[in-house]
Amino acid sequence: MTQSFAVLLQCLLNVAIALLLSPLYEGVLRKVRAAIHSRIGPPITQPYWDLLKLLGKEDLRSGGGAVYASLPPLVLGSLLLLATLVPMGAAAPLSFAGDMIAVLYVAAMSSVLVMLNAFASGSPYAYVGSSREMMMALSVEPILAIALTVGAFKAGTLALGGMVAFQAQNGPSISMTIAGLAFFLALQAQSGKLPFDIAEADQEIMGGPLVEQSGPRLALLRWAMWTKQLVLAFLLVEVFLPWPRFGILPVDLAASGVKVLVVLLLVAVVDVVNPRLRIDQAMGYYVRVALSSLSALAFAVIGK
Amino acid sequence: MSTEHEQTLRAVHQLTAARSDGAHLSATQPHADTLHFVVEKKAMRSVVDGLVNQLQARFLISVGTDKRPLSGDFGIVHIFSLDRDHLYVLVESPIPEDDLRIDSITPVVPGADWAEREFRDAVGVHPEGHPDPRRLLLPDDWPEGVHPLRRDFPYNFRPPSVENVRPEMRKAPAGASVLPMGPFFPVLEEPAYWRLFVEGETIVGCDTRLFYNHRGIEKLGDSVLTYNQIPYLAERICGICGFIHSTCYCQAVEKAAGIQAPRRARYIRTIMLELERIQSHLLWLGIAGHIIGFETVLMQTWRIREPVMWLCEAISGNRKTYGMNTIGGLRRDLPDDVRPELLNTLAAVEREVIAVRDAIIGDSVLRARTEGVGIVTNESARSVCVVGPPARASGVAIDARIDHPYAAYDEVPPRIVIQEAGDTWARVVVRVGELVESIRLVREALSALPEGPICAEIKEEIPPGKVAVSVVEAPRGEAIHFVMTGGDNRPYRWRVRAPTYANLQALPAAVMHGTIADVPITLGSLDPCFSCTERLETIDRRTRTVRIYSHAELLEMSRGNRLRGGAR
Repeated sequence: MTQSFAVLLQCLLNVAIALLLSPLYEGVLRKVRAAIHSRIGPPITQPYWDLLKLLGKEDLRSGGGAVYASLPPLVLGSLLLLATLVPMGAAAPLSFAGDMIAVLYVAAMSSVLVMLNAFASGSPYAYVGSSREMMMALSVEPILAIALTVGAFKAGTLALGGMVAFQAQNGPSISMTIAGLAFFLALQAQSGKLPFDIAEADQEIMGGPLVEQSGPRLALLRWAMWTKQLVLAFLLVEVFLPWPRFGILPVDLAASGVKVLVVLLLVAVVDVVNPRLRIDQAMGYYVRVALSSLSALAFAVIGK
Repeated sequence: MSTEHEQTLRAVHQLTAARSDGAHLSATQPHADTLHFVVEKKAMRSVVDGLVNQLQARFLISVGTDKRPLSGDFGIVHIFSLDRDHLYVLVESPIPEDDLRIDSITPVVPGADWAEREFRDAVGVHPEGHPDPRRLLLPDDWPEGVHPLRRDFPYNFRPPSVENVRPEMRKAPAGASVLPMGPFFPVLEEPAYWRLFVEGETIVGCDTRLFYNHRGIEKLGDSVLTYNQIPYLAERICGICGFIHSTCYCQAVEKAAGIQAPRRARYIRTIMLELERIQSHLLWLGIAGHIIGFETVLMQTWRIREPVMWLCEAISGNRKTYGMNTIGGLRRDLPDDVRPELLNTLAAVEREVIAVRDAIIGDSVLRARTEGVGIVTNESARSVCVVGPPARASGVAIDARIDHPYAAYDEVPPRIVIQEAGDTWARVVVRVGELVESIRLVREALSALPEGPICAEIKEEIPPGKVAVSVVEAPRGEAIHFVMTGGDNRPYRWRVRAPTYANLQALPAAVMHGTIADVPITLGSLDPCFSCTERLETIDRRTRTVRIYSHAELLEMSRGNRLRGGAR
């Protein structure tokens, strides 16, 4: 009884971090973008106000039906589920043998839900955006799978907790470094940042999957996007950069938070200094990343 | 002029006479650089064919004029340029009122497509054999048979509007779907409607409907305003290259009336024209960056551009729309105390432009997005009569500043920047090269700036019935103004052609077989126009009081106290 209560508390903690801190991280990233633009930029709390404003608006829907109505909450919900599967400062609250597979599935689920939502909206821009989203997902998600498989191979377990513990104990290795790098490159696309914000591409297809979304629906989809970038960044730093480990939850959590910030700042800088690629160019790039990341598997096999 | 020039003149005369085969009505040379032929309309296509295919004349624009009060008929003039010979050739045909038709020249000169549809809409002379005779400039609900540029059409007449009319658009080819871009779209700063026919992401065709913003400026010019009022209207044709249009109009009237603007005025016009090119090209570079999602380029180039706007404000009192031009010269001199600020700003802008250029040239992702994208081939550029940087990026060496020298460009000649590839990247390279060149030109014109009066004294009335063509190399290409003088202190006909008019016609071929992602940047690389608002006006609905916020107040509101003194 007490054990399941502790798990529940831990889940709530992870969900709270993902939900409440993701706008703050986004606010910091906006500030960095502005600095590189020679702008002052909005206050770092601006994303919270954006959400508040959008949530207070009228809920206009271009499609009908219960499924369409429930898709944006489901997108955000799937990412909160992901947050409970990802370790943040401590072992993931929902951990079981083979939870790595579950993480990959749940991560992919959010993209699929975004696509379904876009198809249901009936806009031609949303169709184009969704097909781009699908192509991006198909070329990026294998990289996440390869990177985590390297971790699983090294640690000899499909459980994320085991990987983290192994990595924390044994220190950096060639294979994990390459895998981490590949994960980082994939994060750029997973968080919808330039040069890979192709599915949304405001100037080409007016926001793609988001074109018909407004008010609370848009707020939830935005929030989901920010949550996704935060949770995946946590996954990256916990699995590939778990050091130093103090064993005290608040301290480890704070350390992870700082590492996540550094990772996301790098993502933001890449975003600011690049124009948008075309979908074929982006896919070509990620195929090369995926092929290169296979070398990490090879290194893992020879024990490096 | 040289004997070579005389030979060309003779060749044009001979060709026109031979091609018109007895239907030749008159040949005059109203100005040293202008030949004006009148031929019967049955000979028009043949004469045009000869000019274009034998003498490599370049089509500029057509003008349709309702001359019924003068000679009882309509007149259609096709205007050509012989660039190397610095010559304009006007070929005119009278069109009797009972047979309002003329052979279309579009089959011979594809670039005449819009020009012919425009005179059909405006005065009602039908181009026979036109490949695409749909409505061009009139609204979709405009009644048939009503032509606004006819003399008996009052400038303030508004036909009743009709609900639920749609433009006549082409059907998508079998298997393709339609992706609409417009009439309002993020990267289009003005309303324009493009229907892209796509298979997946690939463009297999497109169709357009434009002229949503047609303002009837030419009609105002020949029915309401006077010679000296038109420069202010001309300046408002474009929010970016306004000075170009007012200069071009003034030059046309000056030429028609035989007025010579003083040398100092011509130098100051050159300086202002080049400053306009600098700010326009910087603006464009930012927008091009924005279109492909490169916001850093937008923010930085617009920051670099801002001191140029302040400079224009120091010279003329306005960031844009300077109100400096008048017939015969200028209304406002270049103050001497601006000189140090001008030179300092130019030095700073040059330094930063070169830094931006080096950053852009080394950016592999940017090149990946622009190289080989939106190719306008040399052949297509010539046949569609593309102008300005898009022409020069496709290896067509035309530049109005060199081909038809005006202002002080004969004494301060520009160096032409040319590329061969014809893709978006080439257009970037041409414009960035021109930026640096314009900075040099302003410096040179400033150091050679002569003393003297800034406006010619005009003692006599401007005589009626004179025609003149004037061109100015705007940042986007060649702007053309045609003026036929009239009797009541205003032109009888004033015709304006902005450069985008020519360049947009190259878009369908340029986007063909590209992808959706390439369309915005290809369109953007042709640099269609943009204008922006400086101040904000609020009206309290209860008290009806108007409050106008100043630049400083807006900055204060948006930035707080942090940067006070940082901006002007």
